[in-house]
Amino acid sequence: MRKRHTRLLSLALLLILFITCKLFAEQKPLDGNSIMGKTLNAYYYAQNDGKAHVFMRLVNKEGKERIRDFTMLRLDKEDGGEQYYYAYFTKPPDVNRTVFMVWKHIDRDDDRWLYLPAIDLVKRISANDKRSSYVGSDFTYEDVSGRHLNDDEHTLIKEEAINGKNAYVIKSTPKDKDEVEFNYRLVWSDKQTFLTLKVEYYNRRNELYKEMITNKIEIIEGTPTVTKATMKDLKGGHYTEIEFKKIDYNVGLKKNIFAERYLRKPPVKWIK
Amino acid sequence: MSKIQKVTVVTCFLFLTIVGIAFIPPAWAEEDSAWNLPFRLHGFWELAGGLRCGDSRTEHEDYDLLESRFQLKFTYYPEIIPKLADWNSSIFFKADFLVDGFDEEPDGELREFYLETSPLSFFDVKVGRQIITWGTGDLVFINDLFPKDWVSFFIGRDDQYLKVPSDALKTSFFSPWVNLDIIFIPFFEPDNPIRGKRLSFFNPFTNKLVGEDAHFYYQRPDRNPESPEFAIRLNRFFGSYETALYGFWGYYKQPSGIKEPLGQRFFYPRLNVYGASIRGPAVGGIIHLELGYYLSKEDQAGNDPLIENSSMKYLVGYEREFWTDFTVGAQYFLNQLLDYADYRSSTPSQSPRRDHYMHLLTLRLTQLLYHQDIELSLFAFYSPSDQDFHLRPRISYEMTDNWKISLGSNIFGGRDDFTMFGQLKRNDNIYLRIRYSF
Repeated sequence: MRKRHTRLLSLALLLILFITCKLFAEQKPLDGNSIMGKTLNAYYYAQNDGKAHVFMRLVNKEGKERIRDFTMLRLDKEDGGEQYYYAYFTKPPDVNRTVFMVWKHIDRDDDRWLYLPAIDLVKRISANDKRSSYVGSDFTYEDVSGRHLNDDEHTLIKEEAINGKNAYVIKSTPKDKDEVEFNYRLVWSDKQTFLTLKVEYYNRRNELYKEMITNKIEIIEGTPTVTKATMKDLKGGHYTEIEFKKIDYNVGLKKNIFAERYLRKPPVKWIK
Repeated sequence: MSKIQKVTVVTCFLFLTIVGIAFIPPAWAEEDSAWNLPFRLHGFWELAGGLRCGDSRTEHEDYDLLESRFQLKFTYYPEIIPKLADWNSSIFFKADFLVDGFDEEPDGELREFYLETSPLSFFDVKVGRQIITWGTGDLVFINDLFPKDWVSFFIGRDDQYLKVPSDALKTSFFSPWVNLDIIFIPFFEPDNPIRGKRLSFFNPFTNKLVGEDAHFYYQRPDRNPESPEFAIRLNRFFGSYETALYGFWGYYKQPSGIKEPLGQRFFYPRLNVYGASIRGPAVGGIIHLELGYYLSKEDQAGNDPLIENSSMKYLVGYEREFWTDFTVGAQYFLNQLLDYADYRSSTPSQSPRRDHYMHLLTLRLTQLLYHQDIELSLFAFYSPSDQDFHLRPRISYEMTDNWKISLGSNIFGGRDDFTMFGQLKRNDNIYLRIRYSF
């Protein structure tokens, strides 16, 4: 009898201890690094996989417009970890049926491929310059597939409201200054959803030269999702508007889709 | 009608046709509804002209390219037959219609027409006319023994015309450990050989450069069940490194054998190739290595002076983006002629003799500007052993999503007349292409 009581008591104690720890942990204020981790996960790792039609409008300062349309498939190995991307281009017409594929790694350079259908060529692309423009737009490769959390120091500098939403403002300073063109960037992360609301890029002279603004957030299958954003080059006047349509999460993509087989023969079921 | 009138009339006709097609109510052109239809229609219209340094040996002294080309591409997802839809099937059709101001006649070419399907989760079939490419080289091919059109390549047509389609059955098997492609080509298709009409070249019988007066006869293997070609590839990944083994059983793609020296009759000798390649990241870029053993089946001893000897071919290359939108690619290729002593002793002393080792270097520079609307590029071939070169500078400008203009040049040079690029030294040209894609 006594033995049983002791056991019950210790169980209760353990439970209390666990709950206090949990409460304590949740009350602990978030630091820059953990906010940024959540922000990256909310934007780049929503659910386990995803599918979307992406429309890009590239506009120069004279107002001349170019377009890029592609279907994008994404599969995460785990949140914040390795990912696979597949982009099947439909427009402009001269790149129709071209495929771009990325295996995103954490500990080394990503692997990238380009498939050129007119000559049935599977081309490997070097990936050392992550800040290169993605298909001529104002977005870089990193903007499309995400910058690694550990590439920057993240500090929470303030909290403020932006467009009626409360946000954390994080200053992210690259650890390797030679690898990137910006000196630091400020990221406004929604306190509720951790989605990026705005990003400002500052150069070596601490001047603001590039800005990303989230134009639209929608709830897709229960997941808050950025569906429209604009990246603007403030010096050159060029900007790119990106819009995500027909977003679908947890569609059941498998790793084997992200292979040479499907570069040469697009997975009709998924790109439709 | 004069030739120029003819070209003008047909050009206007084709132009109006495509403008018409491009502005059809956007039933299939509009993004959202596009995917609901079971087919896609695309293509382009292009006008291309190439001026050459005068060479009276060829058919036209002052130009080697003048054509108006209309390409239609049609992808169809067969949904009527449920089985084919389940198998993720598609039918693809691509054809070119052109008015060739050089040949002075209209022409048509079926570039691709195939059915592609996956009857099993680990098995794909692609049957019909198709472009096939594999291997790791950049414009240097070892294990890719699918036909090429070097004439198109040297006169300044779009890069896609370097590849000649094959009528083939391609089957592919996939597994987590290794993938296997087996290609069966029932009827041999050679490279498009240089005949002297558009490009002057070296005549080994007369030891001089010739043009359209070269009445060479290239004899293909008979179209019988004994002349098919097979190509296989086994490939798999090791981390980020793609490795492959290749096998080929067929014929030389160039007329590398002489049947009757007096009749200037060439033929395509039997050839087997066994090779391997690896490609992956290294020092911030991509490195590739490839090699192949060419076994000349009809001259295995290497003592027949009329048939190409066996050889070993090696290739190493590296490509890297050195700064934003500027990429450099460099390759070194080595061709080792086997049974060289036999080759030496059997080659008549007055004919030009090839080196035991042929070295070739290539360099590709690409700079993109103005949000990748402008591309400046240079591809260079240089052989230190043959002492010859070929330069391919080009500037392309995408004026809009539909219009693109390209201006480029093909420059050749060499110490001797009988080397690969040296023989083309009278064919320097400047070309201009204007294209509307839809």
